Amino acid sequence: MNHSEQINLINDAINKTKEQLKPTSVNFIFWGLLISIMSIIHYSFPELIQKTAYSSLLFWTLIPVVGMIFTIVYNIKIGGRIGYETHIGRALKLVWGVFNIAWITLVIMSVFKKQNPVQEILFLLGVILLITALLIRFTPLIIGGIAVVACSVLITISPSINVLLINAAATFFGLFIPGLSLYLSKNNV
Amino acid sequence: MFEPLDKLLTNPIRLMVMSVLVKVSSCDFNYLKKITESTQGNLSVQLKKLAESGYISIAKSFENNYPKTKCNVTKKGILAFENHFKNLKKYQNIDL
Repeated sequence: MNHSEQINLINDAINKTKEQLKPTSVNFIFWGLLISIMSIIHYSFPELIQKTAYSSLLFWTLIPVVGMIFTIVYNIKIGGRIGYETHIGRALKLVWGVFNIAWITLVIMSVFKKQNPVQEILFLLGVILLITALLIRFTPLIIGGIAVVACSVLITISPSINVLLINAAATFFGLFIPGLSLYLSKNNV
Repeated sequence: MFEPLDKLLTNPIRLMVMSVLVKVSSCDFNYLKKITESTQGNLSVQLKKLAESGYISIAKSFENNYPKTKCNVTKKGILAFENHFKNLKKYQNIDL
């Protein structure tokens, strides 16, 4: 092999080994839909969800934890099928892993403080979405991240606003829509 | 000043393996086999050579009762690959 052939071979191998964003987008679509639907259900049937002192807490922890298990299993399967993990992929895995732990911590803290955690969770979600968007350089996700942070700020400046509707809107426009556009795009890092 | 090329990296399979590994955080044997279009035996030999030189690390495990081999590039490997690539560029300029 001459020098040019070696350089071409290096370029070829690097270009073939791309970050696979389509499987990542499924996570956004899934969580966007799940949290939006849960918020709408809670908003529509408050007497059912808030039947007992802990029913609302169970509703907002059990279903997401099942969702989390589903997401972890899905990502492990996809990772095995792709056969490699890029540096960006590893960074995203760590960032979202930290988000999951922070989310659970916020929920537990909110129980002790007897305070709704939506505002804090949305702020955290917005920041993590922005980090993800900047890492994968995907504009709709940047807009989604900003929208989620804006929703968190909106809850602060107008306390009378319905938190469940804001939560549904934030996750729909911040997770589901960018996730769908990522799924449909041909973008790869 | 021209340095001699790293003989370990002039082999196409080894060079391709190193190119993939510098791009990723970790990579499994089957993907390397697919991308290098080599046989299992040949790839195993080339990976062993890279591992013996300290360019890559190999971790073996079992997943659903099937053996799984994962490879990572080491710091020494990254440095060697970068030097090799720089030298290739220098030689390429002369070829032109």
